[in-house]
Amino acid sequence: MKRIEALEVLDQIFGNDPLIITCGATAREMASISQKKSHLPLLDSMGLTTPVGLGVALGVKGRVGVIDGDGSLLMGFSILPTLKAYGPKNLIVIVLDNGQHASADLMLSQASDVDIAGAAKGLGLWVGQCDSADEMKSLIASRTGADEISMIFVKIEKGNTPGIPFYLANPPKLSADFVESISS
Amino acid sequence: MRESNSRLTALVEGLTDWGIEYFVYVPSSHSAPVIRGLISAGVANVMANREEEAVGIASGLALTGKKVAIIMQDNGFGNALTALATFAQPYQAGFPIFANTRGGLGEYNSMVHSISDSNPDLLKKIGVRVEELGISDSPEVWRSSSQAVAQMAVIQRRPVVTLFESLHPGMETIK
Repeated sequence: MKRIEALEVLDQIFGNDPLIITCGATAREMASISQKKSHLPLLDSMGLTTPVGLGVALGVKGRVGVIDGDGSLLMGFSILPTLKAYGPKNLIVIVLDNGQHASADLMLSQASDVDIAGAAKGLGLWVGQCDSADEMKSLIASRTGADEISMIFVKIEKGNTPGIPFYLANPPKLSADFVESISS
Repeated sequence: MRESNSRLTALVEGLTDWGIEYFVYVPSSHSAPVIRGLISAGVANVMANREEEAVGIASGLALTGKKVAIIMQDNGFGNALTALATFAQPYQAGFPIFANTRGGLGEYNSMVHSISDSNPDLLKKIGVRVEELGISDSPEVWRSSSQAVAQMAVIQRRPVVTLFESLHPGMETIK
């Protein structure tokens, strides 16, 4: 599965639920297929997506999704024990794992050698793993309403979708739309 | 030097006057009286492992409308700068950060001043407003300023830092 195919499915699954989206090609590809007020794409701040998602999930009652990448998660890996200690049950963290910093000249990430899902399991987090859209849909459906935070690691193909333009959004507008979305 | 616990208690009171709902903290012996005071007051909290993680969590909470503050030590601003500059500020997440200062009178660490002394300039350079509370300010000033800074951060939709002087617990009796 390509990342953009995973993003299409995740956009459908989460509907108008808050969805925090990691930076670089992930935010860019999502914006190319869907832009919603309930989306909060980070335009920079690599490593901060899951912490922001944790804060949002602590502040609202409904389901919150995070779309992180293996490289971004590794950059802020200290969030994992925090998720275990405080992670609310309404938070589902999806890690699109291509074993690559695809937005950084396609350099391999340490996830190409290291079992980051295993690390999350070792910390006691609930972890699901899959590599197809159907499995991803099924896992998210089964974890919606679960009694603890969920982390779902999805293996995706390496590389980026060609021809996607830079995403030149205005952060204050993105956050104002997001705040309106979660307030309604 | 005068003892600072009454001022730290006043800081806690200022935040409870404001109606603080959450705080995110990074452990510090200097800030411990504030952290423990807020926990005793029943304020929900998250302990973060790094300062940029704290900025991310607090930003998310602030965007949901929660009254949230960060309690940390100022030598962690080196970790937090990118998160402040590229997320909290541009995404207009309004919350106060209260950070105890290091490297001043009574300091026992030989190198912490090398980051702590530079923090006001570093923060101002990225556009973060900085307030200061010292041990020459009365507890009443600490209480009213803490509340006012928190209100300002929310109204102006931006992080605002208060650097506060606090002696290490082991130094409290130094005269």
